[in-house]
Amino acid sequence: MNVLVQGVLLGGFYALLACGLSLMFGVMRIINLAHGDIAVIGAYLVWVLVNQTSMPPWLAALLVLPIMWVAGYVMYVLLLERSRRAGQLVPLLTTFGLAIVIENVLLQIFSPDDHSLLSSTGTLATSSISFGGLTISIFGMLTLATAVVVLIGLQFFLSRTTSGRQMRATAEDPDVAELVGINARAVYAKATAIAVAIAGLGGIFLAIRQTFNPSTGPTQLIFAFEAVVIGGFGSPWGTLLGGIVLGVAQVIGAQVNPQYFVLFGHLVFLAVLASPRGGLLSRRGRTV
Amino acid sequence: MSQEDALVKAGGVNFVERLVAGHELSRRDVLKAIGAGTLTLAGGGLIEACGSALGTTGGSSSAGTIKIGFVSPLTGPDAGFGEPDPYVISLAKKAFASGLTIGGKKYNVQIIDEDSQSGTRAAQAASDLINAQNVDLILTTSAPETVNPVSDAAEAAGVPCISTVVPWEAWYFGRQSNPAAPVPFKWTFHFSFGVAQFANAYEHLWPQIPTNKVVGVMWPNDADGNAIRAALGPMLKAAGYTIVDPGAYADGTTEFTTQINEFKSKNCEIFNTFPIPPDFVTFWEQAAQQGFTPKIAQIAKTGLFPSQVEALGSLGNGLASGVYWGPTWPYSSSLTGVSSAKLASGYEASSGKEWNQQAGASLALFDVAAAALKASGDPKNKQAVATAMKTLAVDTPLGHLAWGTGPNPNVVPTPIIGGQWVATPGSAYPIDFVICENSNDANVPVAAKLTAYS
Repeated sequence: MNVLVQGVLLGGFYALLACGLSLMFGVMRIINLAHGDIAVIGAYLVWVLVNQTSMPPWLAALLVLPIMWVAGYVMYVLLLERSRRAGQLVPLLTTFGLAIVIENVLLQIFSPDDHSLLSSTGTLATSSISFGGLTISIFGMLTLATAVVVLIGLQFFLSRTTSGRQMRATAEDPDVAELVGINARAVYAKATAIAVAIAGLGGIFLAIRQTFNPSTGPTQLIFAFEAVVIGGFGSPWGTLLGGIVLGVAQVIGAQVNPQYFVLFGHLVFLAVLASPRGGLLSRRGRTV
Repeated sequence: MSQEDALVKAGGVNFVERLVAGHELSRRDVLKAIGAGTLTLAGGGLIEACGSALGTTGGSSSAGTIKIGFVSPLTGPDAGFGEPDPYVISLAKKAFASGLTIGGKKYNVQIIDEDSQSGTRAAQAASDLINAQNVDLILTTSAPETVNPVSDAAEAAGVPCISTVVPWEAWYFGRQSNPAAPVPFKWTFHFSFGVAQFANAYEHLWPQIPTNKVVGVMWPNDADGNAIRAALGPMLKAAGYTIVDPGAYADGTTEFTTQINEFKSKNCEIFNTFPIPPDFVTFWEQAAQQGFTPKIAQIAKTGLFPSQVEALGSLGNGLASGVYWGPTWPYSSSLTGVSSAKLASGYEASSGKEWNQQAGASLALFDVAAAALKASGDPKNKQAVATAMKTLAVDTPLGHLAWGTGPNPNVVPTPIIGGQWVATPGSAYPIDFVICENSNDANVPVAAKLTAYS
């Protein structure tokens, strides 16, 4: 039982990392290979603010998110817009290149030293509540709650607001959307901006959960990607479910034998990939 | 990929050659200029890493120049090891500036440094050095992912190679075609700690605190973890410790509840691990959440450098570790004359960062290189250099190293000294390593007794 709870909490972390990846694929059909590295940028920005100005981490996070939002917008306009026009494969290569550039720029600026927000968040990362044999990490719950809030927000945005509806329309068929007066370019830029901001948020939680350095990004990408695939590409709730399924599969694997932790996650991922239905919550012909 | 390869691929060489034909410029000078241009434009680590080899190869290669290749991880997950290398190389270059006089002849010495990218580029860096640069000697350091491929390439090509900072068992047996019947290597030589040094240090460190001698271990399913399980486990058992091993876990695991529960239920008062650094932090946070706080937390492979421990905040204070060099080592570099204390303070002054144990090991490589070249009598003769290595004795910041006295002809074991990371509020750096035992080298002064983690 305790193990299942830990798996669900872990799933919340994966879901938070995966939201932006899922959104970008759902709207633009772009798999952003730099997603993990963008999350690490968010972690570095908060770390710099906290250490230079000794402001509390939550305030730094509030400042960093708009910065990431703008960075995402710029990233779309400067990089993805052009490569999108050149076909399906080019954006993939662009984000791959971007990942390498980000890692090396971070290495130049920050050196390979490990950093973390552990020391500036006090006992947040290590405190827990326990009852009846269950130990529940406060930080794990906070991560899961944040993931749920972000996903509810995303769902609300997509289904209830004009911009969100435009985004869904553009995702379905960009040409028809343009015909009825939607500026697809602006919609895509907005989607990238949101995705990058959420990635930055995920990076901040990552920075409290473990240490990070310029080469942390790619390992984060794998689990986020698996969560997205398991849940079904482009479905916000699917991403949460995918993260939780992945987390639970991993802890069950570790229960069988510690070396099966990563393996069980990969097996679930493969099983979902091979199944005719695709992701758990994927709906044919309709994304987002 | 070196800058030259890149240009060839891009079809740029024709252009360069045409340019050279019309001017009094060497092809190399032009390449260098282009390299510098790219460097300024891009400013990225990757490009700089490619360019650095070029930057150091300036000048004409006369018959009297000895070329030394140096391969270490400057980027990627092991980049922490590479941090002091630029400073160490600058010391070596200064010492070599006036050349080396061997057998009455004076040779220029040129150092060509290459980035292994923590392993992904190690074999290619070695083949660049061997085939394109025609180096006379290769030095390599820091983790099996970098050192083993470079050593293998040197062995295959018949180029002398000296390496360090890989447990010697992983270097010697890991590279044999049949580890059960090892055959000594002809061209590759190594100095580094081994499993016996860890066991010895632990057996002298742990009794300083009364415990139930039950050790919970987190040894991952990778080259280091499995070597430690096979070798260190039996040694600790023989010394009277009970090992609680939940089993090998995969690197990259993010949830450790199963292991923590087992350690708690078996009442492990000592904890030992050889993880990749990010895994340890995840584990240690979860251990704190779930109330597993051993009296001794002995970590290896992570927590080697102050920055890794600082990042843990208060969780890092009191972690026990082992180091292969430190500022209080009472030895000096024979090539540069720099003492251990000077090496540490010099690195701190030039980088603005706290001392890093890799500085001592990297500088020792250059001490060994210079001594081997001198002892060979003919440094351009690779066979003579390799023969000289077999009986070489040399003073380094790690101590006196003598080949031919170790467990096999290729290896000299070096000490691991046990101690503890202790927060030092109010001083220049927030945390420092305090030495608590010196069983592997009695000349290193002990500073304090081990104190309990919790």
